[in-house]
Amino acid sequence: MRIVVAIKQVLDPRGFTVNRKAEKIFVNHEEYMINPADKSALEVALQIKDTVEAEIVVLCGGPERANEALRQAWAMGADRGIQLTDKLFAGADGLVAARLLAAAIRKLGGVEVALTGERALDTGAGEVGPRLAEALGWPHILAAHRVGLADGAVKVIAKADRFVEVEAPRPAVVIVANGANQPRYANAARVINSYQKWNPEVWNAADLGLTETDLAVAVVKRGLAFPAERQPGTVLSSAGELVGMLKRQRVI
Amino acid sequence: MDFDLKPEHRALQKSIREFMQEEVKPLVKQIDRDSRVPDELLKKAGAAGLFGIPFSQKYGGMGAGEIGYCILMEEMGRVDASTTAIIGAHTGIGVMTLYLDGTEELKQRYLPDLCSGKKIAAFALTEANAGSDAASIRMKATREGDSYMLDGEKMWITNGPIADVLSVLAITDASLGARGGATCFAVESNWEGFTAGKREEKMGLHGSPTAALKFDNVRVPQENVIGKVGLGFVTMMKTLDIGRVSLGAATLGGAEVSLESALQWAKARHQFGRNLANMQSLQFMIADMASEIEALRSLVYRTAWLVDNGRPHTKEAGMCKLLGSEIASRCIDRALQIHGALGLTRDGQIERGWRDSRINEIFEGTNEIQRIVIASELFQEIGVRIRP
Repeated sequence: MRIVVAIKQVLDPRGFTVNRKAEKIFVNHEEYMINPADKSALEVALQIKDTVEAEIVVLCGGPERANEALRQAWAMGADRGIQLTDKLFAGADGLVAARLLAAAIRKLGGVEVALTGERALDTGAGEVGPRLAEALGWPHILAAHRVGLADGAVKVIAKADRFVEVEAPRPAVVIVANGANQPRYANAARVINSYQKWNPEVWNAADLGLTETDLAVAVVKRGLAFPAERQPGTVLSSAGELVGMLKRQRVI
Repeated sequence: MDFDLKPEHRALQKSIREFMQEEVKPLVKQIDRDSRVPDELLKKAGAAGLFGIPFSQKYGGMGAGEIGYCILMEEMGRVDASTTAIIGAHTGIGVMTLYLDGTEELKQRYLPDLCSGKKIAAFALTEANAGSDAASIRMKATREGDSYMLDGEKMWITNGPIADVLSVLAITDASLGARGGATCFAVESNWEGFTAGKREEKMGLHGSPTAALKFDNVRVPQENVIGKVGLGFVTMMKTLDIGRVSLGAATLGGAEVSLESALQWAKARHQFGRNLANMQSLQFMIADMASEIEALRSLVYRTAWLVDNGRPHTKEAGMCKLLGSEIASRCIDRALQIHGALGLTRDGQIERGWRDSRINEIFEGTNEIQRIVIASELFQEIGVRIRP
């Protein structure tokens, strides 16, 4: 069975500092990483592959450097990596990203489960998963923590306000929650081989049969602003303390 | 000239750094307190490939070369000296002996399990009366049919109590002594007659098990001779040569964290109405630390490059170990001074770092021996032979 994992490469937050006063982000080391939720989605795919025969194909859109994310995914155990790169893809929003991924999944054919992470560390939009399902006409399940296979379906333990078990017929899009699992470490030999003995495939707009019209963005960014600063919370050590505080604030 | 790491080495560095931060760092205090590195951690490190970094993939190694191995040791040295010592003694000298001079059959037999961490190796050279003077070892190997009977004792053997396979030097021809009469053997710890003594209680490296080993007529088949009969001393010296490069890398990692903690504390701590960073006396210490570290980094990676390119490296390897251990000790000592009394508390990393650092000037050839090695190489270049 073929499983697709869509990953995004994001700036590693350990490499930049945020200056609230200046409303600026200073990049000290420009390092990139696989978006953590997407890495958890890859781990879900690898866990499926641990139990049934499966081919894991990882998709990553982005410029040249996206190949590093794909190499890391391959080192962790993916079978194929496809980099979606084209000048036309620059500035893609959630809608365009979903269309790209949908086109790649159709081109691949035979995909039964498409996995992706819930939310990207950088934009935090969380749109791509549901939009991808929409573009493919597949059902989707959000906030997945555990994913298993049943006869012609995916069985998922997802977290709404509590954990629920849900099922969807395959093919389906499963959107994995941030922190759903602890992704495995790549074996060092595969890390070395991911550069010395392997290369990702590269697909462009023409390979995907997409034109400029298909790639028109729906969301236009007009500006960036810092969210309001959150006040630090108070740590309470007992229920009595909490009751006292709520009474003082006239909540109860 | 290219001072950048290759992309595969950069990826390896990232991956190891992540492992050390996520898996090892949270356990560091516990390892020091309990004098034990959890088996579970070693298992995880094995799965990540950390037990076979420099060796060829043909034998189950990771194929990352000496540069890759120095990256591992540097990243490990930044986090935990005990785990570094276990993997370092295993890889850099234990397995290295087999890798350098073992027969194809021996390598096929032992290396895959050693590289995956399923088995752990140790290097057994030192004896009670043969420390720096390694040539005066007494352990005997007497020929008996197709085997050798090993009889004697080894001391201060890192990984001794946990090793499955040991590279052991013993005298096969007493009339020739160590040079010409010593042979290196691969010995399995479950063979009859082998026992490891109790773990030594040391000042530092609490999690790294060290013990005396007893060989009471251990039967070793002749196929387990590493290298040539009579030339075991050469094999072991060659192994130690390479081991010194990665030991230098481990000290580099240690020195780096000393500097980083000194910088952070100098930023945070205020005295006389300003932070310590503004005091010239501290700036001098910090500048000296950073300069020495930068010089060490260049030396270590250039020497690793010499190894990977098959160039002579004995002199440079000695320098890696000599300078590395002394720089690391100086850096942690300065960091302690900067931290003041806080640096002495058991809770902080400085006190542990200080205790862990000292051994680097002693094991794998004392720094006095390194100086002799370096001087011998220098004099040899102008035709003077120094008697060891």
